Amino acid sequence: MSGKMLTLTIDGRTVSVPPGTTIWEAARLLGIDIPVLCHEPRMEPVGVCRLCVVDVGERTLAASCVRLCEDGMNVVSQSAEIEHHRRMLTLLLLSEQPESSAREATTGDDALYALARRQGIDEIPFPDGARGHPRGRDDSSPVIAVDHQACILCDRCIRGCNELQHNHVITRSGKGYRARIAFDLDVPMGSSSCVACGECAAVCPTGALTHKALQHWRREWAGGEE
Amino acid sequence: MRLLKAMLALQEAKGAVTDADLQRLARDEGVPLHRLQGLRSFYPAFREQPGPPVQIQLCRDVVCRLAAGQDHCQRVRAAVGDRADVEVREVSCIGLCDQAPAMLLNGQPRRGRLEDVRACLGGTGSDSACVAGTTPARRWPTDPYASPQARYGSLRRLLAAGRPEEVIASLKQAALRGLGGAAFPTGLKWELTRHAAGAEKYVVCNADESEPGTFKDRLLLEQLPHLVVEGMLIGAWVIGARRGIIYLRHEYVHAAQALRQEIERAYATGALGQGIFGSDFGFDLELFISPGGYILGEETALLEALEDRRGEPRNKPPFPTNAGLHGRPTLINNVETFAAVPAICWHGPDWWASQGKPGYKGLKFVSVSGDVARPGVHCVPWGSTVREVLELCGGVAGGRKLKAFSPGGASTPFLPASMLDTPLDFDALKAVGSALGTGAMVFVAEHRNLLDVVLAQVRFFRNESCGKCVPCRLGSQKAVAMVEQVLAGAREALPVDLGELHETMARTSICGLGQVALLPLIDALRRFPREPSLQSLRRVRS
Repeated sequence: MSGKMLTLTIDGRTVSVPPGTTIWEAARLLGIDIPVLCHEPRMEPVGVCRLCVVDVGERTLAASCVRLCEDGMNVVSQSAEIEHHRRMLTLLLLSEQPESSAREATTGDDALYALARRQGIDEIPFPDGARGHPRGRDDSSPVIAVDHQACILCDRCIRGCNELQHNHVITRSGKGYRARIAFDLDVPMGSSSCVACGECAAVCPTGALTHKALQHWRREWAGGEE
Repeated sequence: MRLLKAMLALQEAKGAVTDADLQRLARDEGVPLHRLQGLRSFYPAFREQPGPPVQIQLCRDVVCRLAAGQDHCQRVRAAVGDRADVEVREVSCIGLCDQAPAMLLNGQPRRGRLEDVRACLGGTGSDSACVAGTTPARRWPTDPYASPQARYGSLRRLLAAGRPEEVIASLKQAALRGLGGAAFPTGLKWELTRHAAGAEKYVVCNADESEPGTFKDRLLLEQLPHLVVEGMLIGAWVIGARRGIIYLRHEYVHAAQALRQEIERAYATGALGQGIFGSDFGFDLELFISPGGYILGEETALLEALEDRRGEPRNKPPFPTNAGLHGRPTLINNVETFAAVPAICWHGPDWWASQGKPGYKGLKFVSVSGDVARPGVHCVPWGSTVREVLELCGGVAGGRKLKAFSPGGASTPFLPASMLDTPLDFDALKAVGSALGTGAMVFVAEHRNLLDVVLAQVRFFRNESCGKCVPCRLGSQKAVAMVEQVLAGAREALPVDLGELHETMARTSICGLGQVALLPLIDALRRFPREPSLQSLRRVRS
């Protein structure tokens, strides 16, 4: 880090950080936990889930995971308006989710469901985008289960695979509402160049990419016999 | 640009970019397969398998919908039937709104009426159905040059005895603002880019005009390509760039031809290349054809495409003036903005200012379409009223009464006929709750269903969402689905307030598309309380 320290206020509290620090990181120094689904401290931020938006006094809210601190900045990370938008974004995401989370059933750390519980959401008002599971599953990998329906396109698996592990298998494929994750030239994960390192499942915040238990794998190996 | 150019060349040569092609490309270029899949699946120009010999791309957006009816696409499909040699795809606005309904027939612009489609199917599709270069060539007031030999006169003058600071001062005095819709002060943008740190800088012309109802850049590129090239050259000289790119939507095949000829001519006459007109200034310019998608008109999405990535808008800041193409300072302006610069330099900023109506400065190209007698492009004094433009186009088609008009493009809210005397001006239209946008004026006659019109705009944004951020990707889809369910009688109440959804999208989306996606509908619900078509939706609002 070079240059002089920057001083800003977040929710009325003052903090000094080196240049290049994001608002999200600065808030953490103050013990302010800004919710986020697409960011993970080991990764380059992408600012796509928009749950971490904060008010820096501009026309639109800023994604704190990517927005760099500026000297003299006055940041509001919690307000009725911001909470309202975070709730709306959570509802939008939940409306596409399967009824139960494969992640809650395995490692138990589904970040989206946890967020929904913190927000006290008990009803999803939108048309159910998950009815009939239109986005499909991919069970071709012996060790990782893919449920496209649970994918929120946070790009964590993409960065985990390509930037952290340098395995270079996963991409966003398609565009708009039909965008989803894909492997290589959009082949099933089990037929792709995936080396089953497990990073994607480890960093996935939802039930989209989960580990299969070894006993499951053993069953398949034994030709389906118990 | 390397990967996308290679993929476009494959698409052009073979009619598809197959898995085998991408495997070869990945090996040759040393890039992972997933990256090429990300590109192929994002850009509409690419297909995985070759299509049938006759490929019809039919515009489904608002102006063609007004011209040919809500069921036009279905009727065309019915006319084609199950012929295996013909494919019909519905696509977003192709910028031929003055020829509506329009289509691309194997990539070539054509009128797209049912009879035109039938003529193509019967093998009698003649060149008479060709729709390019439709606006007769005129002497436009922004072209200061009486003869081809006089062209690039402003640049010559500047290179001989000019100073970059004078150009910036002139643009400021002329009050020129970005004419692609965002209205950012041009002089300030040039100044910021000139002063941005960096030895290497770029100039990019955003010729990706794709908003329904907007086609003035097509005309400018076809008829005045020399002004666009000269504007970019002056920009490059002012900011200190040696390389420029024109980013053109692939549907504008005739504009591409005009630009290629102009670039070639400019190299031949010493206006491009090294040592321009005997000076020590050098500038290389190339044309890049977009692999498609409205979102590429968002300047940072455009830069992503030029860097061989999916055209998804960047989080800002930083802005391109400081960190644009390859992270370097980049001057990006719209076609019309660049094309205005030579005249401002030639005649001076006072002349430009005097072209406007009293109290306004400059000239504006407007694209006029919808229910008017003679759709087309006009260059009008800044501050002209909407009524004056409507009269230039022969008034409302069929002598009907006017119901509403959108003054500037898909995202600019419709105003009632009672506001026809509003001047065409960024601030004046903002003051009444709409916007000048790109100057794409769409007129809607009294008998029209306004809900169908504004819903077509919202669907356009939904269809063109890149999908990068949650509010836009899901919000636009949910909004359209909910409204369609209400209209189909499948839903008696809206489960969330559309206005609240709009607020979240407006405040949290990464780029302008998501921020305005629901605006045409939300604003119409507020502004047209007695519009019959909106009653069904108003009754069921949550």
